[in-house]
Amino acid sequence: MSIGIKAIEYILPEKILTNEELSKIYKDWSAEKILNKTGIASRHIVSKDEHASDLGVKASKKLFEAGVITPGAIDFVILATQSPDYLLPTTSCIIQDKLGIPQTSGALDFNLGCSAYIYGLAMAKSFINTGIAKNVLLIMAETYSKYIHPLDRSVRTIFGDAAAATLICDNDDGHAIGDFDLGTDGSGKNALIIPSGGSRLPKSKKTAKEKEDNGSIRSLDNLYMDGTEVFNFAIRVVPRSIKNILDKHGLTLDDIDLFIFHQANKFILEFLKKKIMIPNEKFYVNMQDIGNTVSASIPIALKRAEEEGRLHKKDKILITGFGVGFSWGSTIITY
Amino acid sequence: MTNREKLALLENMLELEEGELNEEIKLSELENWNSMAKLSLIVLMDDEFGKKLSGEQIRRFETIKDILNFME
Repeated sequence: MSIGIKAIEYILPEKILTNEELSKIYKDWSAEKILNKTGIASRHIVSKDEHASDLGVKASKKLFEAGVITPGAIDFVILATQSPDYLLPTTSCIIQDKLGIPQTSGALDFNLGCSAYIYGLAMAKSFINTGIAKNVLLIMAETYSKYIHPLDRSVRTIFGDAAAATLICDNDDGHAIGDFDLGTDGSGKNALIIPSGGSRLPKSKKTAKEKEDNGSIRSLDNLYMDGTEVFNFAIRVVPRSIKNILDKHGLTLDDIDLFIFHQANKFILEFLKKKIMIPNEKFYVNMQDIGNTVSASIPIALKRAEEEGRLHKKDKILITGFGVGFSWGSTIITY
Repeated sequence: MTNREKLALLENMLELEEGELNEEIKLSELENWNSMAKLSLIVLMDDEFGKKLSGEQIRRFETIKDILNFME
């Protein structure tokens, strides 16, 4: 027996935002230019009355409908979101109720972004390993679009909304989750931030005041990303994390069958691939129609790779998440 | 690498015609000097010169000449 990923399902909101629509707003950026620079042609965006719990519930229901497991067999719900339905109560409690998961189950939210999937797997594995839970439902549900100013081209071109549900359990199919390399650098807190809305700076008329910055418009109530800082952070920590996780497993780059990184954008992924010297055919990128879906990007990519027949039994897949915090993590899973 | 060659790298990066850039041009006057260009510059410094370029350093660049000097 081994603790591993049994199944993944994901959901995308219905509404699609294309580069053509964006290029009408950002006059000097053509649809083609956005695609060339980011590798993104369109992204899915939630409607006003669609929230993280709704997406999380829909993605989880797909797992149940696929016959992988019943709600009654889940005994722990872990949700990663930075766009919760409420400040409190905890969104995973709402999801437990909506899905009819037993009241004897544990449920918790945790606040991480692009690194969240790795941390979620670490928690799920630990809970099962220590006998706290048997079947962990790990949900990534993010609706960054709610925080993005419509005229902020630096982030609106990049991020898309989505949710993914992963079932982690002890299994005899060979699925396994390996060791972890985790890291944190909170000195990067201002590089990816929504300044207002927490206790440090409550939302007010003042924080809602819009400002122009480098061709984008936003207020302190909106998501802000310093692209150069985030890029420099990623090229500093990701290659090191890859080395650490390979060393921990006693493996080399050649032993890995597929690399699936957080699908940040094409530009950063291409650079990391080149820098780490990962062969093209082992480097999975699939985000053109969904953009950067934050915490959901790795499980969505895993599912898509599986659907394309890119995953084979016993394959070793190295996954890495990195972003807001700064926070990062890597692990190696066996398919 | 000559200054002309360095300018050519920047022209290519900024999608400008050959000869369009000179040392005196202020970055604030360049329409293409946006966030993507800054990322491209970080990559260019790493690829061509093996140099790390911080966001702080980029903010200190005022003219093309400042970038050329950093390439040394």
